[in-house]
Amino acid sequence: MFSGYDFDVIQRSLPYLFRDGMTFTVTLTLLAMTGGIVFGTLLAMMRLSSFAPFSLVAGSYVNLMRSLPLVLVIFWFFFLVPYIGGWIVGAPRPIAVGAFWSAVITFTMFEAAYYCEIMRAGIQSIPRGQVAAGQALGLNYWQTMGHVILPQAFRNMLPVLLTQTIILFQDTSLVYVISATDFLGAAAKIANRDYRLVEMYTFVAAVYFVISFALSALVKRLQSRMAIVQ
Amino acid sequence: MNSSMIEFRAVSKWYGSFQVLKRCSTRVDKGQVVVVCGPSGSGKSTLIKCVNGLEPFQEGEIIVNAESVGAKGTNLSRLRSKIGMVFQHFELFPHMSVTENLNLAQVKVLGRSREEATTKSMALLKRVGLEAHAKKYPGELSGGQQQRVAIARGLAMDPIAMLFDEPTSALDPEMINEVLDVMVELAQEGMTMMVVTHEMGFARKVAHRVVFMDNGEIVEDAATEEFFGSPRSDRAQLFLSKILQH
Repeated sequence: MFSGYDFDVIQRSLPYLFRDGMTFTVTLTLLAMTGGIVFGTLLAMMRLSSFAPFSLVAGSYVNLMRSLPLVLVIFWFFFLVPYIGGWIVGAPRPIAVGAFWSAVITFTMFEAAYYCEIMRAGIQSIPRGQVAAGQALGLNYWQTMGHVILPQAFRNMLPVLLTQTIILFQDTSLVYVISATDFLGAAAKIANRDYRLVEMYTFVAAVYFVISFALSALVKRLQSRMAIVQ
Repeated sequence: MNSSMIEFRAVSKWYGSFQVLKRCSTRVDKGQVVVVCGPSGSGKSTLIKCVNGLEPFQEGEIIVNAESVGAKGTNLSRLRSKIGMVFQHFELFPHMSVTENLNLAQVKVLGRSREEATTKSMALLKRVGLEAHAKKYPGELSGGQQQRVAIARGLAMDPIAMLFDEPTSALDPEMINEVLDVMVELAQEGMTMMVVTHEMGFARKVAHRVVFMDNGEIVEDAATEEFFGSPRSDRAQLFLSKILQH
């Protein structure tokens, strides 16, 4: 049944797939997650601000990002980032950013919108009395947020943040539109070169499945452990 | 002559078109204990939260230690750090140990070193009888213990006055006394205190004055013996007859 297939191609290309491809995917995921959570948390604080311009700007940004297909955003940023970068540093022409950093910036900006909504729910889940207690002790806004509200919000939302990160991990495969060599991109190159599409794409699917499934199981365990603590 | 620590001058507050405080005027002198009581929804919690600016008010003035709370130039954070506050639902920080709860503002607001803060915290925990629980988290303590930690947290800032917003209302009956004992001791040491409570036994024992509120108004403001002996207003009489029945 498998006589027409050559599964050895997988073994032969393993170093390239993981050392180049998976490294790109994982690094991109981790950087975009970190940046996205930091930026998303700031957006959430702005959205919840009583100062109308802040909540308006943050709200519009989040709604815009969430209304656009990710592929489109990746595409746009790939062309825009060099121009914006050039404009920021005052260079006469667009600066070279490269597919990797372009992808990091894109995913950070895009995922921030989703992390923002998670952190917003997290902040709102903390009783208002906690803010009052912080303020009554003389803590200012940033101290109350940093020491009292955000650590609790972050802890409450950890399972959801991780679930969003699993989605991010899968979404990074969309960098194929800017010809970056992530895990899927590396596999696609070999598949096309050796004409082994079925073997490579099956293998890629299996790897994504195993990693995502394992992480999901981890989140579930974390969730049940947190339920006990509370 | 006593000098005033907290003074309310015709304070009014509205939620939209609903007036929750109606020209409230009263004062708490240095070293005095003033108990604020009244039926629920009478505005007593709102009144006490105005003292450290947790609730804004639209008219009138509140002077705390010669500083006007609502004024533009007032550094509200600095003022708050000098006034301890104890809440109905304790509001300890659940992600920090008892000691960390006491240390946080000492370090971040007063700029004490961690060692200095911890020494202070341990002394206060000993005073409220909880030094054995210093490393525990709030969730591991009973309600009464949590509230005593909350009082210690307020005291750690070396406050010039303490505010108590229904400190025993969320407690099981058998835990009320351990908290009241700490408060009585504090009062006897001469701490300036403003206490919103229904504990009339506590009021009788330590309060210098009792303020009775109803419908956002201060209906009666009298020395303790006078208030319990012969309340002037019908509303205070009715309230007292209801809660002193048992």
